[in-house]
Amino acid sequence: MLYWLGNILMSLSDIFSFCRLVNYITFRAIMAALTAVILVLICSKPYIMFLHRRRILDQQRNTGLGLALGKSDTPTMGGILIIGGAFFSLFLWGNLSSSFLWSVVFATTWFGALGFIDDLKKLRKRSGDKGLSEKTKLIAQAAFAVGFACYVTSSLSPLHPREATLLYVPFLKTPLLDLGHGFYTIFIILFVMFVTNAVNITDGLDGLAIMPSIFTISVLGVFAYVLGNKIYSAYLYYPYIPGSGELAIVAAALGGAGLGFLWYNTYPAQIFMGDTGSLALGGAISTMCVLLKQEMLFPILGGLFVAEALSSQIQDKIGVKFIGKRLFTRAPLHHALQYRGLAEPKVVVRLWIVSGILALIALATLKIR
Amino acid sequence: MTTFLVGVIITIFFVFGAIWFLVNKRMAIFRKNPIVILSGGGTGGHVYPLLAILEEIKRRHPNYRIIYIGKAGKAEDHIIPKEGLQLIHTWAHPFEGIRNPAKLILCLVITAFGTLRCMIYFLKFPPLWVISTGGYVSAPTILAAIVFKGLFRAPIGIFLHEQNTIPGRVNLLFGKWVDRVFVSFEQTLAFFPENGVVSGYPVRQSIYCGEKKDSPTSLPFSVPSGRKVVFIFGGSQGARTINRAVVEALPYLFPYRHKIFIIHGRGLSKTEVYDAQRDTEARIARLDEEIRRELPNFYYAQDYFYNIQRIYAISDLVVARSGAGTISEIAAMGKPSILIPKSGLPGDHQVMNARAMKQAGAAYVLYENTTHDEGGNLTERIDGQVLAQMILRIIQDSVLLSTMSLCAKSFFRRNASKIIIDVIEGKAVPLDPKKVLASVETPPIWTNGRLLRSLQAAYAKNSSAYTPLEVLKDEDELEYFRYRVGRLLYDPNWEIRNIGVKLVGYLLHRDKIPHLAKMIEDRTPVPWWQRLLGGDYKEVGFIRRNALTSIRILGVFDTTVERAVQKALEDPYYEVRAEACRVIAHFSDMLAGKEIWLKKLLERLKDPSFEVVAEAAVAIGRIGIDNRALEALFSLGTHHFWQVREAALRGILSMLERHVICPSIELYRGLQGFILTSTDFVPHFPIRNTYSAILALCEERIRRRQCPSITDREKLFEENN
Repeated sequence: MLYWLGNILMSLSDIFSFCRLVNYITFRAIMAALTAVILVLICSKPYIMFLHRRRILDQQRNTGLGLALGKSDTPTMGGILIIGGAFFSLFLWGNLSSSFLWSVVFATTWFGALGFIDDLKKLRKRSGDKGLSEKTKLIAQAAFAVGFACYVTSSLSPLHPREATLLYVPFLKTPLLDLGHGFYTIFIILFVMFVTNAVNITDGLDGLAIMPSIFTISVLGVFAYVLGNKIYSAYLYYPYIPGSGELAIVAAALGGAGLGFLWYNTYPAQIFMGDTGSLALGGAISTMCVLLKQEMLFPILGGLFVAEALSSQIQDKIGVKFIGKRLFTRAPLHHALQYRGLAEPKVVVRLWIVSGILALIALATLKIR
Repeated sequence: MTTFLVGVIITIFFVFGAIWFLVNKRMAIFRKNPIVILSGGGTGGHVYPLLAILEEIKRRHPNYRIIYIGKAGKAEDHIIPKEGLQLIHTWAHPFEGIRNPAKLILCLVITAFGTLRCMIYFLKFPPLWVISTGGYVSAPTILAAIVFKGLFRAPIGIFLHEQNTIPGRVNLLFGKWVDRVFVSFEQTLAFFPENGVVSGYPVRQSIYCGEKKDSPTSLPFSVPSGRKVVFIFGGSQGARTINRAVVEALPYLFPYRHKIFIIHGRGLSKTEVYDAQRDTEARIARLDEEIRRELPNFYYAQDYFYNIQRIYAISDLVVARSGAGTISEIAAMGKPSILIPKSGLPGDHQVMNARAMKQAGAAYVLYENTTHDEGGNLTERIDGQVLAQMILRIIQDSVLLSTMSLCAKSFFRRNASKIIIDVIEGKAVPLDPKKVLASVETPPIWTNGRLLRSLQAAYAKNSSAYTPLEVLKDEDELEYFRYRVGRLLYDPNWEIRNIGVKLVGYLLHRDKIPHLAKMIEDRTPVPWWQRLLGGDYKEVGFIRRNALTSIRILGVFDTTVERAVQKALEDPYYEVRAEACRVIAHFSDMLAGKEIWLKKLLERLKDPSFEVVAEAAVAIGRIGIDNRALEALFSLGTHHFWQVREAALRGILSMLERHVICPSIELYRGLQGFILTSTDFVPHFPIRNTYSAILALCEERIRRRQCPSITDREKLFEENN
C-alpha cells in the first residue's frame, strides 16, 4: 500500500520526492523485513498468552521414543504469527498489483489453512496422531499443485509462455530441456508436494524448521532480485523474468517474520509453529522456486529438507512398513542425530550450519555456471 | 442433445412408473394366497434354521406358497427338493475382500445379475415376506427385496436371521435396511441396535421332541449298562482336529474303559486332503495292541449318524464343534458339552458361540492349537491328553454334569420359530434392543492393536508385578486371547506375526516360548528384491527383536531360549543384538560368572553399532565377576560415544554393588581414564517438577481416600478444556 501511496504522493508534488525510495526494491525489501520482525516481536507475547488461555497446546505424537520429554503443553499454531506478520508487512510494502506476489500469498494461505485445519483437528481429538489423514493432506496439496501448475503454464502466467515449461538446472547456462505442458504439470505437482512435506517433516525440534527456511527464502529473494533485474540477469546469463523482483520483497517479509518467530521458538521453545507454519512456509518456498524457474536448485538450497524428507520416507515406507527393520538408526535425520547422543540445541545449531553452507553453495550457482 | 436427454428422462420415468404399477398390481393378485420367499444357503448351517421357520409358517398358514431361492450346486440344492419345496436358482458369488479388484468386480457383477434375476421372479411372484438366514447366496434376494421396497414402495416384509454371535457379512451389510434382524444370542444385538430381536436359534421340532423314548437297542451298537456315554463328532464332514485328538486321547481313556463309552462320529469327508475314515483307522492301528484289543468294548465309530437325536439322547457328554446349529441342538437336548471351536472363521464366530455357552455354564471350551504338522504344513491340533483329562474330569462329577445340563436347557430358547413368526405378524412386540443389551454383559472383542496398547500401558506402569489380568476381565478372556494370539504367529503377513510376537509376551503365554526361540533362530531368506532393499530373513528384524523382548517379559530362560539368545548375539540386525544383550542383563542372576556368556559379550564390544556396545557393557557389568570384565569396561572409557562410556560406568557400578570388585587403587586409576564430557544432557525444568510434585501428592491423597474423589479432578480438567 505504501508503494502506491508513495507513487501517488510523488506525482502530486516535489515535496514528496523522497518517496521515490519506494521504487527501489532493495529499500522496500529491507523495510518489509524490518516491519515483519518488529510486528512479530511485538505480537508474539500477547499471542502466546492468548494461546495459553485458550489451551491451544501442542498434542504430542505417540512415537514411543520419549524424546520430547518436558515439551508437553507448549502452545502451537505459531505459524499464524509468521503468516500474519509477513502478510501485513507485504500489505504495506508490496506492489499489490503483482501477480508474483499474489501467487505466493495464495499458496501460503492455502497451505497455512490446510495446516490450521490439521492442527485444529489434533487439538480437538487431543492426540497428535489424529489430525488429518495423510491421504487427505496429500489430496489437498495436490489440488493446489494442479491449479498452480495450470496457472503457471497458462496464458495468465506471470512467466513468459516460452519460459514457462523449461527446466533449468544449476551450473548450466542453458535450460536442460523443455518438459512440455503435461510433464511439467506432473513435475510441479510432485515438486510442490515434496517441498511442503519436507518442511513439515523438518519441523521436529525447536527452531529447526524456521532457520533453514529463512536461509532458503533469503537466497530465493536474491535470485528474485537478480532475475527481475534486466541488467543483472543479462550479466549473469539468466532469463529475465520481468516483475519477479517483487518476490524479493515477499522473501524479505517472510524471512523477517521468521526471524521474529525464532526469537520465541528457539530452544527451549515458548511456541511451536505447528503444521500451520511448516506447511505455509513449504508452500511459499515451493511456489517461489517454481516462479523463479529454480526448481532444481532446491535439492542444493534446501538440501537439509530433502535429507529429512527422504530419510523419513525411506525409513517409514521401505524399512518399517515393508522389510521390517530400521534402515537408519532413527529417522528423520534430526532424530538420528539425537539418537547418536547429541543434545537438541546441538542438533539444531549443527543443522543450521549445514543449511547455511548449502545456502551459500546455492548462492554461488548464481555465478558458477 | 437436449431432446435426447429429455427423451431418456421420460423413458426412465415411464419404465419406473410401469414397474411400480405392475408390482402393486401383482401384489394385489396374490393377496389371498401370499407368497413367502426364503433364501439363505451356501452351507447347511444357513438352510436348516430356515426349515424350522418354515415348519412354523406351514403350521399357521397352510395356504401360503413358499418359494426358496438358492444357488445351484450348493447345500440348499440337495436339501430343499427333498423337503418338497419349490426351489429356484439365482446367481451369487462370495465376497472375498477388496484386496483383489478382479474378484471384487466379478463378485459385484454376478451379484448384480443375480439381483436382476430375483427382481424378475419378484414381478412374477411378488412376496409378502422375504426371510433370509444370510450366506452370500441370499445377497441377491435381499438386495432385490430392498430395491422393490425402497424404490417401488412394494409392501414386502424383509427379515433376516443371524445364527451366530458374530453376524456374517451379508446380514451385517443389509441389517440396517430390513424390517427386523432376528438374532440367536443377546450379545449379537450390539450389531443391530435399531431393529434387532432376540429370537434364539430355530430348531426343528424333530430334534427336541420325542425320540427319547427310543431304547438304545435300536442303535447299531449296544452300550453296556452303567457306562457314561461320551459322544464326539465334528459335524457332518468331520473335523480332522477332533478325530485325531480322539485317537490320541484313547490311551488316556483306556484305564477308565469300564466307566465310559465313546461314540465317535468321524464324518463323511473323503477328499484327497483328508479321508476321515481311513486317517482315523490308520491312527488307531498305531495304538498299543492291548488298547486295540479292548477298543470295541468302550469305543464305537461311525462316519455319520442319520438319527443324531438318538445319539444325543443316550449321551451324557457331547464333544463337538461350536457352530450355531450344533450348539443349539446340544442346548435343546440339555446336554453338557466340551466345545472345540473351529479356528480362522470370520470374526471367530464359533469361538464366540462357544464362549457364550461357557458363560452360561453349559459347556467347557477347548481351543485348538495352531502348529506345524509332521509334513511342515500349518494345522490345528488338540492335545489328546488334555481332551481325555477334560472328559474324565467332567464325566466323573455327576453334580457338575447335572448343573451343566440345566444350564444348557436354560440357554436354549425353545420357541425361536414361534417368536419369529409372531414378530413378523405383529402379534408380539419385541423388546427394545438397546434395553436388552444394557442387561447383558458383552465381552469386549478388542482388536489386536487395541489389546496390545492396553497391555503395553499396564506393563509400563508396573513391570515387576505385571499380569495381563489387570487389563482383561477374567481367565476365560485371557485364555481366548492367548488362543487368538497363538494363531497370529503363523500369519503369512509379517506385520501381523510381529503383533503376535509382542502379544505373546504381554499375555505371558509361556507355551509359545519354543516358537519364539524358533523365530529368532529362523534363517529363511526373503526374496532377492526385498534383500536388495535391505531385508534379510522371513522373520524380519522387528520380529526377532520383539521376540527377544517378549522372552524378557516372560522371564523364562531355558535351554531353547539360551540357544536362541546365543544366535541372536550374532544376528545381522543391530537391534536384535542389542536386545539380546538386554536379555542377558535381565537374566544376569542365572548367568553371572558363566564363561561362555562373558566371552560372547566381550566379542560384542567390538560391534559396529554403539547401541550394542553400550548394552553389552551393561550386561558385562551384570554378569562379570573378574578382572577381565573390569578391564574391558575400563577400555571403553575413551569411546567416542558418551552413551557407551556411561554404560561402561553403569557396568562398573553394578559390579561394585554386587561386591565382585572393591574400591582399589586400580579401580580409581581406571575410572580416571574416563572421558566425562558429553554431547547430551537431560533438561531440568524446575517449574514442571514442582507442578508434577503437586499432582503426585494429590493423587496419593486421593488414593488414600483423604479427599473427595478423582472424578473432581477430571471434572476440573474438562472445564479447563
